[in-house]
Amino acid sequence: MTTGLVFDIQHYAVHDGPGIRTLVFLKGCPLRCVWCCNPESQEPGPELRHASARCRTCHRCVELCPHRAVSQGPLFERSLCARCDDRPCVDGCFESALAVSGRRMTAAQVIDRVAADLDFYRNSGGGVTVSGGEPFSQRSFLLAILEGCHDLGIHTAVETCGHAPSPRLIEAEPLIDLFLFDLKLADPSAHARLTGQDNSLVIGNLRLLARRCPRKLAVRMPVIPGCTDSDENVAGIARLLRETGIHSIELQPYHSLGGFKYTELGKPIPFEGNLDAPALARVREGFLRAGITVVSRP
Amino acid sequence: MSCCFTPREVSGSPSTGRTANLKRQYLDAPLMVDIEYIRLLTQSHRRTDGMETLERRAEDHAYALERMTPVIHEHETIVGHKTRYVRGAVLYANYAAGPFLREMRKQEQDAQQKHAEQGTGGGIAETLARAKDQGLTILSGKFLLSPADLEEFRGLCEYWEDKCLMEVADRLWMKEFPEAHRIQTGWTIGLYTAPHDPCPEGRLVLDYETALQRGYLDILRELDERILSFRPGSIESASALHFWRAARRSLQGALAFAERYAQEAERVARGCDDLVRRDELLRIAETCRRVPAHPPRTFREAVQAYWFTYLLGHLEGSHLGYSPGRLDQVLFPYYQGDSTISFDAAVELFEELFVKMTRIEYCASMSWQGLGHGNLFQNCILGGVDEHGQPADNELSIAILQAQINMQMTQPTLSVWYDDSLSERFLSKAAECVKTGVGYPAFFNQKTYVEHERAVSGLPLETIRKHAAMGGCTEPTLQGMAYGVVQAGFVNHGKLLDLTFHDGLDPVTGTQVFPPRSPVSYDDLEASYVDKMHSAVRVWQQYWNYVMAAHRQTVPLVFCSVFVRDCIGRGKCMDDGGALVNGTPTTLSSGMVNVANSLRAARKLCFEDRACTFDELRQALADDWKGHEALRKKALQAPKWGNDDDSVDGIFLRLFDDYVGWVQGQDNYLGKPYDPSMLAISTPVPFGKVCGAFPDGRLATQPLADGVTSPFPGTDELGPTAVIRSSSKVDHTRIRGGLLNLKFHPSALQGETGSKNLLTLVKTYFDRPGFHVQFNVVDSNMLRDAQANPDRYRDLVVRVAGFSAYWVEMSKALQDQVIWRTEHSL
Repeated sequence: MTTGLVFDIQHYAVHDGPGIRTLVFLKGCPLRCVWCCNPESQEPGPELRHASARCRTCHRCVELCPHRAVSQGPLFERSLCARCDDRPCVDGCFESALAVSGRRMTAAQVIDRVAADLDFYRNSGGGVTVSGGEPFSQRSFLLAILEGCHDLGIHTAVETCGHAPSPRLIEAEPLIDLFLFDLKLADPSAHARLTGQDNSLVIGNLRLLARRCPRKLAVRMPVIPGCTDSDENVAGIARLLRETGIHSIELQPYHSLGGFKYTELGKPIPFEGNLDAPALARVREGFLRAGITVVSRP
Repeated sequence: MSCCFTPREVSGSPSTGRTANLKRQYLDAPLMVDIEYIRLLTQSHRRTDGMETLERRAEDHAYALERMTPVIHEHETIVGHKTRYVRGAVLYANYAAGPFLREMRKQEQDAQQKHAEQGTGGGIAETLARAKDQGLTILSGKFLLSPADLEEFRGLCEYWEDKCLMEVADRLWMKEFPEAHRIQTGWTIGLYTAPHDPCPEGRLVLDYETALQRGYLDILRELDERILSFRPGSIESASALHFWRAARRSLQGALAFAERYAQEAERVARGCDDLVRRDELLRIAETCRRVPAHPPRTFREAVQAYWFTYLLGHLEGSHLGYSPGRLDQVLFPYYQGDSTISFDAAVELFEELFVKMTRIEYCASMSWQGLGHGNLFQNCILGGVDEHGQPADNELSIAILQAQINMQMTQPTLSVWYDDSLSERFLSKAAECVKTGVGYPAFFNQKTYVEHERAVSGLPLETIRKHAAMGGCTEPTLQGMAYGVVQAGFVNHGKLLDLTFHDGLDPVTGTQVFPPRSPVSYDDLEASYVDKMHSAVRVWQQYWNYVMAAHRQTVPLVFCSVFVRDCIGRGKCMDDGGALVNGTPTTLSSGMVNVANSLRAARKLCFEDRACTFDELRQALADDWKGHEALRKKALQAPKWGNDDDSVDGIFLRLFDDYVGWVQGQDNYLGKPYDPSMLAISTPVPFGKVCGAFPDGRLATQPLADGVTSPFPGTDELGPTAVIRSSSKVDHTRIRGGLLNLKFHPSALQGETGSKNLLTLVKTYFDRPGFHVQFNVVDSNMLRDAQANPDRYRDLVVRVAGFSAYWVEMSKALQDQVIWRTEHSL
């Protein structure tokens, strides 16, 4: 049975693809975008989270950890955390301040969860959206989920950062009804600096999909203040779109709601910024001037 | 916290200067009680001793109608009100004088008073401030009256002390009902809501179609003919004569009431320099002479005619849940036939009408005031299908929604009879109204109700479709043909759970209510709960039948009976079985979700995982889980209702089926089986307050789950679709009522797509089929901000249960409960 690591499943999701959808978040991502609002999605393995606002510093977790990964504070030495299956620290935390992001599930379990909302999809024209992380990082798990949903006649979308081996996209393409393709930065060095990888693979995959299945392709750009919202970047992305024969883009305005998750994971918050309405309007204008239709989020 | 929240997507404002002024007038007004009606009623009652009961009741009411001071407020074009004040309550000492007297004597009104909470902000704050400044007295926690009126009212209450419904009923059941002590114990421990005698009526929709089509004079002619051509042949048949005479008297009083408003309008017009207003007043006078005596000729006359009938029925009884019915259907012929009325003018008239409905206050026992939070549960239901099953939504359905989008008054609450065939335009307008955040319209599945009513009443499909309406929060009824005094109050399932886990002993008061019984298996545990539920329900039903016997002798509804088919034809008032449908009286309860969750958790802890013994669990509950945190963690992890998990949903369904079947096993006062129902109003807060800790991990005194099938806050981990999947497993065709609250962050429903998705959610739920769903679309952070800065939120309205309320006039506990509910967002 194919299994994979899922860090969340959201029902009644209405922003990622048409209609009412179920969002399945797979763990693990090759990029490290500084603005990432789902930091728990990045590492491929399960991760311990500690919500200090709920913690009453009873320090039971210190006693319960068999690997001495927790000390008074409580402080977590994450390199020592063995990610135990039975999670004594999480089960023993009465305030539910401790949690683990990343649950191993079989593809069948995921498909069952998705299929439960079949009538919502039918009535709304919705379906499943597999997101991440980068879903193509868990290749066989993703394929199994897509196959199962496809067999049930469920509309399938995949949200991808585009940084994945092209053969994986090609092999999954027949099972996918919609690619939600993130395009962040046109300049390779800026891409490398802000996401950890250059964009050659991303752009290659964009061209590939634009050629193979243009109707299945929806490009989206996160509007990140000081990172992606410059006039040059907008012009660059617009140029790229025109070259590949794509005429529209959806903008995803930055929000800082994911900040607390970095703290829970014991990581520093890598980016802080504020997107004002004029900046967003300027990006919009930039695309419109370049002849690209801007699809607003519902 | 106050800095960041998402505002509501839709916000309206009154469409004209007139309605803006009327809303302002309302928001600035203090809450008053008016002793005029009860003073006049009492004057009459002192001189009518010896009259036949129905005739006396009609005479007293008509006497008051003929003498009440007509008051026409500035800006009004629809006239008539229950009191002389902008916000006013009538004091129904003829129903229950005792609670008022106990308040004046500084005694506890009833056992539940200490658990009831009222708000202190908004108009209530205005009231309290004025009391201080102007030396006025406060009654029932939030109403003003002068010291002289209070003294007079004390005398009136003393007159009614031994004659009112409550006292006559108490004398009967307390003495003759062998189980009386169990009712009193039930009140003491919070098993039942407080005595409902102060406001027993409502859940009633009158026959406005007939009232408007015929006019009162035509009905009076019929009554005269019946009386003249009738020859009594038995005592029973002679009672028809009394009913018709009483009916005639009540209509005569009503016509005099309208005439007094005509004269008042003329009087004010004479002193009015503003020529526009003078014309308005003269038109008001003309309208009041035309209706309700004759059928209305214009839409405006129809609205006034409708309002008179609505108002006079409201005045006669101490109603909660008395409802406007299918306003869009009743008024549409007059809108269609009136070439002079524009859509905008119709919207303005509805805006005015809804201010008038919101101005009605009730002053009953504080327990019941707390349960309703000032709302009278007036429910106006729109759309639906007509007798042939065709979509019935029309221009007025849209106008009514638009009026409430503009006004956002707490009353009437709007509802939609949902059917797939309704127009896109109407449903989109309904979704737009939801997105103002006021919490209405609620959506009801008409097909589900039709199925229920067919089984209960056996009436033809066409009749049920056409007359299906909502009488109160979430209780469907038949417009103009069903009995309207329907229930004793609520049974607290949470308290029965307490008693089950503590060997029949109430853990809070230490009262031994049931014989000790320690369950030896899970099945035994569930059976123990069911036995207690059976016993509590049966006693409650029987008690209420005693009260209803007293109702017939003290406060039978005569005017209302005139407008309930087929009281006139049968020559019987509603209390004697005159209505076509007498199966509407319900037995109500709330809190079953916590019971299912708790039984599931106990099963897991004690019988599946053997994490503890039953005695250890009981000890943990007695200690309110203190020192048992590890066990509580396991209890919290047990499956919970609202996640589509059959292991717990199955328990709920078993209990539900059992409850439904058991309730029907006892006849109501009119000889028909009691109809099972579940509702909530504000019960989750006071019901939770009297309960100890539960095996599902809930702490002592925490509120219970809201609604009927709403999950306990925070336990619905899989989102709204799973809640709907759990909820739709319940066979809603078996009960009269049902309630599912969903709370959404505004971003989840944004834009046209958001509206479409919302309607899809409703459709999908009803396809399954579900019965009712309503939405709070508001950012919890905004509610927290509103708690901190009430001054900025004077007109914020949120959904509580089957009703909406002004945020600032809600109690802190209820505000917390609304914030606490799980918010679905993205």
